[in-house]
Amino acid sequence: MSLQEFWDYLVLGVMLGSLYAVIAIGYTLVYGVLQLINFAHSEVFMLGAYGSLIVLQLVSPGDNPSALASIGFVALAMAGSALFGGVTAYGLEKVAYRPLRRRGAPRLIFLITAIGASFFLYNLAGKLFGRDPLPLPEMYDNHTVFSLFGAGVNITQMLQFATAVVMMVALDLLVTRTKLGKGIRAVAQDAEVAGLMGVDIDKVISRTFIIGGVLGGVAGFLFANLNQVSYTMGFIPGITAFAAAVVGGIGNIRGAMFGGILIGIVETMTVPLLGDEWRSVSAMVVLILVLMFRPMGILGERVGRAA
Amino acid sequence: MSTVDTSKNLTPSAASKLRRTAWYQTERFSRLWAMIALGVLLALVTGEQGNTRDIFFSIEDTFTGPNLWVCLGLTVGVWALREFAATPIKGAVTKAKESAGSAVSGGPVGTLRERLRTDKRVKLGGIALLLILVLVIPSGLERTWQTVLVDQIAIFALLAIGLNVVIGWAGLLDLGFFAFFAVGAYSTAYWTGRLPIEPPVVLNNFWVIPVAVITCLICGLLLGAPTLRLRGDYLAIVTLGFHEIIYLVAKNADGITGGPQGARLIPDFSIDFAGFEYKWSIKPLPYWYLLVFFIVLVIILFSRLEHSRVGRAWTAIREDEIAAAANGVNTVQFKLMAFAIGASTSGVAGVIFTSKYGYINPEVFPLLQSILILAYVIFGGMGSIPGVLIGTAILVWLPEALKDWVDPSDRYMYLGALLVIMMIYRPQGVWPSRRRQRELKMAEEGIGDADAMSEPAGGKF
Amino acid sequence: MLNKTIIKMAIPLAVGALALTGCGSDSGSGDGAVKIAFQGPLSGDNVALGENMQNGVKLAIDQANAKGDLDFKLEYVAGDDQGLPDKATAAAQKIIDDESVVAVVGPAFSGPTNTSSPLYAESGLVTVSPSATNPLLTDKENGFTSFLRGVPNDNMQGAGMATYYAKKLQAKKVYLIDDKTDYGVGLATVAEKGLKDAGVEVVKKSVPQKTPDYSATAKDVVNSKADALIYAGYYQDAAPFAKKLKDAGYKGAAISGDGTNDMKFVELAGDSSENWFLTCPCTDATVEAGTKKFAEDYQKEFGRAPGTYSAEAYDIANMIIAEVKKSGADVEREALRDALAKASYKGLTKTFSFGENGEFNGTDVYLYQVKGGKIGYQGNINELAG
Repeated sequence: MSLQEFWDYLVLGVMLGSLYAVIAIGYTLVYGVLQLINFAHSEVFMLGAYGSLIVLQLVSPGDNPSALASIGFVALAMAGSALFGGVTAYGLEKVAYRPLRRRGAPRLIFLITAIGASFFLYNLAGKLFGRDPLPLPEMYDNHTVFSLFGAGVNITQMLQFATAVVMMVALDLLVTRTKLGKGIRAVAQDAEVAGLMGVDIDKVISRTFIIGGVLGGVAGFLFANLNQVSYTMGFIPGITAFAAAVVGGIGNIRGAMFGGILIGIVETMTVPLLGDEWRSVSAMVVLILVLMFRPMGILGERVGRAA
Repeated sequence: MSTVDTSKNLTPSAASKLRRTAWYQTERFSRLWAMIALGVLLALVTGEQGNTRDIFFSIEDTFTGPNLWVCLGLTVGVWALREFAATPIKGAVTKAKESAGSAVSGGPVGTLRERLRTDKRVKLGGIALLLILVLVIPSGLERTWQTVLVDQIAIFALLAIGLNVVIGWAGLLDLGFFAFFAVGAYSTAYWTGRLPIEPPVVLNNFWVIPVAVITCLICGLLLGAPTLRLRGDYLAIVTLGFHEIIYLVAKNADGITGGPQGARLIPDFSIDFAGFEYKWSIKPLPYWYLLVFFIVLVIILFSRLEHSRVGRAWTAIREDEIAAAANGVNTVQFKLMAFAIGASTSGVAGVIFTSKYGYINPEVFPLLQSILILAYVIFGGMGSIPGVLIGTAILVWLPEALKDWVDPSDRYMYLGALLVIMMIYRPQGVWPSRRRQRELKMAEEGIGDADAMSEPAGGKF
Repeated sequence: MLNKTIIKMAIPLAVGALALTGCGSDSGSGDGAVKIAFQGPLSGDNVALGENMQNGVKLAIDQANAKGDLDFKLEYVAGDDQGLPDKATAAAQKIIDDESVVAVVGPAFSGPTNTSSPLYAESGLVTVSPSATNPLLTDKENGFTSFLRGVPNDNMQGAGMATYYAKKLQAKKVYLIDDKTDYGVGLATVAEKGLKDAGVEVVKKSVPQKTPDYSATAKDVVNSKADALIYAGYYQDAAPFAKKLKDAGYKGAAISGDGTNDMKFVELAGDSSENWFLTCPCTDATVEAGTKKFAEDYQKEFGRAPGTYSAEAYDIANMIIAEVKKSGADVEREALRDALAKASYKGLTKTFSFGENGEFNGTDVYLYQVKGGKIGYQGNINELAG
């Protein structure tokens, strides 16, 4: 592999990784407050993609929208995906997890509920919206904007990376600077004590789900923009992002960002080195190796300590 | 980390104003909204199939059709009954229960159950009766159901019993259990000479079983040794990763495994011993007897284990690993043992599966299967052998039966909904083990945490 | 507590209601009806493909009933195998147990065909598959005596692609991708052999279905400096890949097989599909009057355009119906099997007849190209290559 090729793939890897990072944050946030693998997060992601598709089909951008109109369409689509993602995550928490939490059910039960909810949601989406993949209507003319170490970066990639970075910075600020963030950290460290200190745990958990859902939903939109929308689109990125969250240290927001980008790079680098069919294998091997040497992930656990 | 500042300087009147709730904020109405939402969801679930040409078609159809009103009527009706007629219904139900209860709890069923537990002879008699039924009944079934019983329920039952050891007894969350099934299946294809690479000798399927068991044991040890020091959730993701790797190797290493085109013409089981010759064929019943033999064998072996020193060590590890280690239980050794025993059971199931079908390709072993089998075990009641058998039977049978009742493409939607409802209302499973039930109850009351995995999510509050 | 009571009461109610709806749909089947079944993925990940074929079969049956020249009533039976070998035996057995089923369209995929064909062979029930292309299925050793392949196997198209690239386009280096499905791998293997025999350099890669991001692969194609590309897979994945190829600046030729030869490929990929070559063992599907009418009827019946293998499934169902008509409603399964194996039928897509072990009697492969958002017919691929 020449140096130029290396840069090419590295840039692609970081772009893909930033997407994984955003999804991984959804897993990590929920894990932080509930110590629960939210298997249904991949469906939040999938429904977010459908949200943006629905909005775009309603406003239907024409053949050659102007630059301003393009920005508007992107913003609308993003809002649609955020709404769908947030509502799905909120509903999930309310319907599937809260009753269990009330009775202090074991985590394993949560896991099965999450699996059940995931089955239900993706099959329902397939039923409602049809089971063939759909393209996201073109919102802008995709062309290369600038080059990074000689590797061209086009609008789709720029949008993807910029959105991911903005969302991650905003989230980091939210968790470290705001009262809700304090609440999240408090619940993550010790829910019982946080409750005694007057934190409304239900509210904090519910909002954590919404934040995770909004991030997941927007990630769904970005992913649909990169690929396409289908009702089974959640599973593979979901598993990969979950692995990324664990690699970074689950429950740790910065860990999820780091893990996402690392897995993105590893997957993309696999393509020229070993071939596309081995990309998941190399991601999983990295996961197992990391956990063998650092059992809590690279940056360690817990939302509370991210700050 | 400082505590969260929630103290606000509220005057008493402001505080009471905040405390006052409008009529629409009362619990009763929030329940109404919930029921309305449920009604809409129900209408969507039972509505028309959508299509990609017009993604709004199904939703539009639901909101303009009569189905929505039926569903809403149903859910709002339930709400109204619950809100306004709760006392009379409750009274009627308790009365009915009392009249029935006098017949049940103190009556013959109750005593029978008690006798079953205490009297060894009755227990053995019951098991013998059950076994006879299990052997006789399938021959009277339609061949479709015989096929479902053998090809799916029995194979998965064997798997579930194995997973039950890992998760129900030793408390290790294994999300890659089905990978060992794949190992068993590919071992069969290899040792019967049906893979692109030649085995040193071609074995009869019965001889493949011990070989596959050893292969799976080794795989289980190789995976378990470095990863078993990880705690609950990390172990889950590592085993999940392991499954993904096995699946992708099966799919990608075309030269070794045959790749996506799989292995075909794998022979059936056959006996040729001292002049006695028999060959199993595609007929389901002979395989049923074979599978029942293996299931019974495994159940006998495992229930001996459960009440031995090993079983008690597993329980100790499950309930409190640190305490177990402090009391001199070699936790790593026992965990590895559980892992390997589970893996080899899975391997045996893989051998039988492959021989029965005569063909495998990687699509038989997707990640989803590992997740499903876990759901079977929890659904039935983990830790209890009759529980996991019942759970497997119900959840494997249900999608097949749903084929006749609903649009086949919606089957797994109903399965998912069933899992959620079941976990909310009966988390201990259909037939939980008594010990597990007690642990769960203790966890619910917050007296003690049952085990590493049964720690309540989000701490106790 | 009451909550639990309600649930307890609701479960039997729900089950009862489900059972009732089940009975409702069953009671429609009158005695003496002749049933044609379809076995394929109607749930799981490949439903879209299964639905295409199911609709084709349904349409054929409905039209035959509506015509009114049958002295019996035709009915449709669905057999859902999820496209998975392990679910196929139960699905097949269910079809076999229904004694009024005389023939099966399917199984759709090669994996399920491998596990269910022994059962069909035992029962003598004939299966004609519109899409199982693995060449090994007609291997004599299998003993799949009831299996007829209603589609040319992978060899034809793979060889056609290789000839076209080697002779007509004079390609120097071909980047060959399979999608790690049975279909894709089979096609790619044949194409690779053909190209290598013609002295063309081949870079063979696999990109599994549902790969989340095709950018890296597209980059790899550009970096390899190949001047032509073969994608052996289905349109669901060819479409995002085509988009990424365009983004990466790939300028060479691209070709794909009948799994991609579908208007949905053009819809999904948009401009990026422009100039893609597509092969198909089917003659032009847009010009002939019969095909046009089929597309219209299909659209009217199911509210969507026919997809991959819809027309093939429709043809096969019609072929079966014609054969049943000849021999009457009380035809034995074995007799129908033998009749079909010898029959020849001119359908919308091609002429169906079967050779040894149920192998499809070869037809030519035709070339199409995407031009201006339409799949345009180019001609017989071997004639074009000259």
